[in-house]
Amino acid sequence: MSGYSSKGGITRRAALRGALALCAGAAGLKSLPARANTTIRWWSTQSSPEQLAAYRFQIAAFEAQHPDVRVLFEQTSDEGYPAQLAAAFAGGNVPNLVTHLPSFAVADYWQAGLLAPFDPVIESVGSDRFFAGTNRVYEIEPGVHAAAGIGNTAANMLWLRTDLMQQAGIESAPETWDELRAACRQMQGRGIYGAQLPYARNSATSLVIVCFIHGAGGQILSPDLDVAIDSDEAVDALEFYRSMRELCPPGATGYSWGETLGAFVSGATATGLYAGRVLVNVNTRNPRLAEHVTCVPFPTVSAGVPPWTFNDYPSVFIPADAPDLEMTRRFAAWLYEGEGYIRQLHATPGHILPVLQTAAEDERYLDHELVRRYRDEIALMSTSAAAGHNLGWESPEHRINVKAGALVNSGILAEMVQRVVLNEEQPRTVLADTARRIETIMNA
Amino acid sequence: MSTPARIARRFLFNVLAWAVVLVIAFPLLWMLLTSVKPSSELFVIPPRLLPGEITFEHYRRLLTETPFLTYLRNSAWLAAGTTLVVISIATLGAHSLVRFSYPGRERLARLVLFTYLLPSVVLIIPLYLLMAGLGLANTLTSLIIAYTTFALPYALWLLRSFMKAIPDDLESAALVDGANRMQAFVDVILPQALPGIISTAMFTAILAWNEYFYALVLVNNDAARPLTTGVINMLVTSFNIEWSLLMAASVMMSLPLIVVFAFLQRYLTRGFSAGAIKG
Amino acid sequence: MPTIRAASASLRLRSLDARYGLLGALLIAPTVLVFCTVIVYPLVSAIYLGLFSIYTPTMEGEWVGLDNYRRLLASGEFWRSLANNLIWTAGTLTLQIVFGILVALMLHRNLVFRALARSLVLFPYFLSTVVAVLVWRWLFNDLYGVLNHLLLWAGIVDLPVDWLGSMPNAMISLIFVGAWKYFPFVVIAVLARLQAIPDELYEAASIDGAGAWARFTDVTLPQLRDVLIVVVLLRTIWDFKEFDLIYLLTGGGPIIGTQTLPLMVYKEAFALNQMGGASATAVLMMLIMLLFMSLYLSRARD
Repeated sequence: MSGYSSKGGITRRAALRGALALCAGAAGLKSLPARANTTIRWWSTQSSPEQLAAYRFQIAAFEAQHPDVRVLFEQTSDEGYPAQLAAAFAGGNVPNLVTHLPSFAVADYWQAGLLAPFDPVIESVGSDRFFAGTNRVYEIEPGVHAAAGIGNTAANMLWLRTDLMQQAGIESAPETWDELRAACRQMQGRGIYGAQLPYARNSATSLVIVCFIHGAGGQILSPDLDVAIDSDEAVDALEFYRSMRELCPPGATGYSWGETLGAFVSGATATGLYAGRVLVNVNTRNPRLAEHVTCVPFPTVSAGVPPWTFNDYPSVFIPADAPDLEMTRRFAAWLYEGEGYIRQLHATPGHILPVLQTAAEDERYLDHELVRRYRDEIALMSTSAAAGHNLGWESPEHRINVKAGALVNSGILAEMVQRVVLNEEQPRTVLADTARRIETIMNA
Repeated sequence: MSTPARIARRFLFNVLAWAVVLVIAFPLLWMLLTSVKPSSELFVIPPRLLPGEITFEHYRRLLTETPFLTYLRNSAWLAAGTTLVVISIATLGAHSLVRFSYPGRERLARLVLFTYLLPSVVLIIPLYLLMAGLGLANTLTSLIIAYTTFALPYALWLLRSFMKAIPDDLESAALVDGANRMQAFVDVILPQALPGIISTAMFTAILAWNEYFYALVLVNNDAARPLTTGVINMLVTSFNIEWSLLMAASVMMSLPLIVVFAFLQRYLTRGFSAGAIKG
Repeated sequence: MPTIRAASASLRLRSLDARYGLLGALLIAPTVLVFCTVIVYPLVSAIYLGLFSIYTPTMEGEWVGLDNYRRLLASGEFWRSLANNLIWTAGTLTLQIVFGILVALMLHRNLVFRALARSLVLFPYFLSTVVAVLVWRWLFNDLYGVLNHLLLWAGIVDLPVDWLGSMPNAMISLIFVGAWKYFPFVVIAVLARLQAIPDELYEAASIDGAGAWARFTDVTLPQLRDVLIVVVLLRTIWDFKEFDLIYLLTGGGPIIGTQTLPLMVYKEAFALNQMGGASATAVLMMLIMLLFMSLYLSRARD
């Protein structure tokens, strides 16, 4: 009996000692952050390894010039930022600088009075260095900018595999939906799918249907922001989206941007809808396709409707409550400077396109392997993106829609697609229903 | 029963049981195998189970080129801190709920459970405001406090059920022998409840180790980011999923827990029999 | 002799109850303190916020009284989410309990490499939800997933199955992954209790001529009752509140086919930035669980 109890005691003590050691170890491992007079917290949703390297270069150069400043880069994500920023704003513990959020998110925060005017930064960069009209989307109130673009993105380019087109005997890139469907059908087979459109309940699907409705000549909201989605054009768009389902992989019902990109880059699909990141991903992850990819503007319903490019206008903004406003503005302007900005662009050539005319023409920018090799594609994406729009600003005639972020995040548009494609409901009924739901959000 | 029949039955049972175990653990196996495959073997159709070539490149990259170790340290600190706080409070609380009688005791137990019904999604903003007010935003301490909100009711109720199973007589006997209630608690109740305390501590540690949502919203800083959000943030982006690194990270995230459990489960059995005999 | 001693002791214990009440209150004090600061405050604020229309990032808004509740109860989405929530909870909980008990019994017996088997079985519970979801999404993948490949190879299906993007597959996959992830909790609790069942009880039952099944129903189950009551209670609440797994695996889709109440709360709070509506949804959700809890606890006591 005593043998048992002493055995129990030993293990118990051992366990206790182990637990204590664990705690002590953990406590000892907690390191103290280095102290600096000013800390600038910078959040971004874009942080691929190549981009991180470019950011580090910019940060190091800035810190070298300002020894008492420390810049802390903190990653956020497309899915995570709404909650993280909401908490940060509500708690008054905001980052100094946020980059790469789409313009419609900026509009949402701006109208709630959460952002500091960005004009001083634009002035110190030099407003004439930006491409004309680039920052129009941030001019929510006349004369004041809520943010500035840090790049442009042509999100809905049609990517093509020239080798597969050749094999299938397709001579020119499709320009209408009928041609696209036919081409996809011809190239589908032997384990390769024709297309990779997203059909999930996420922002990717929402953005794609916005593109299709404009590609049919329609719009979601009128220039005065009345709901205009319940239209023949939207019916055409939904029917086209539905007709592409059989040309996409079965799992497309779960695709977001990552999966659509992966499907095209891995060679599983013959065409793809995506932005310029295809270029760097093909070259690093699947180089055997590097010679065979190209892009064109996404087809429209007929030759009469011009292509419509979705530019999510990756932004830079400063929260109103950010501490050290002066230094923050200086750092924000620094992001556009010289070699640093060019490194940012080179991290994902063609994906984040220059907003500064001076950078686009800079020898150092043009002197990059991928920028040289895909000169035509990048030029095309640049012009498309420069004339691009998004749900927050559907055409030059449109007022800025500050509810666009809520519309995308609510998933209403993606649900509309799913109801038509997966549930096979009548586009008309679904559109009428969707129009009502959009109305509710616009009036909220 | 004849011996050959018994052996056959034992054999059958073992085969069947292990088949079940392997099916359950198949994702672990898949994770392990994927983590040592070269990236180029990931996207082959049809998928292959065994790697054509074994590489530890992903582990090396994870350990040397990413902040994985910082996240690991944060997670360890979080799990240990939360467990320590929660278990100390809950053990005392459960003892009080089981062995003492005072007005409102049952109602209190219910209330504790009731507070546990609120979804974390709603707690999070008020909690964040609280942390920001205390100057704790973006720290590990804020996460430990946040984790207490869901781990404490859990731990309290589990411990209460474990402690209820300890016969009243044991404490009574100690009291008759002249011990006071705290002595009886330390000498009699604690050793008896130890297996329960250990398994509850394990659950708490696991909860803290694996929590995602609070960590996502309350902490956005590499210095305090735990593994769950750290690994996702680092490897899963809207433009790429680093499957190889992700699987390597998953293996390394699970290993510490498996090792700890392998140690503790032996302890659980032994601790319990010792306690039972002592009584 | 020992019986008399114990009886007199418990008598003495009762007489001392009053004096020890204070000590009892002292012991529970830290718990109460923690609850007041980190739970009751957010809880009260949730009830309060539910009466306002609030923009999440500023946490400012106007009083709307019970409008949030009226709107919710009139919306199809709330009821659909509630139905999904019930289906998910009932489905995954049933699987967890049944598998959990079966596997615990299996692991309680003499098995070769029992320690290894136990570690392997408990592994899904150790695995972070985030990682578990990613591994399953990889297994479910339409192009490179091993699950579809196995089914195609075995000739059970002609085309890859869309596991997560269509109904009812998405709900079934969700329930299944949830069960896989959480049944080890039941295993752990049941195993710990099984080890505490005195062998004499089984010996006595055997002597009385009870077979394996009779020993299970007459000895094991009654002994497990207390643990199971708590386990079911905790797991029900936990599953009902589950957010990470569903959010990461299906995001509530297709359409709102797998959207449960916590996901709806999240959507209201952070996608639509309407904290008032989110809080109201959460309060309703809490009331539903409260109803369940009261019913359950009063039944369990009998």
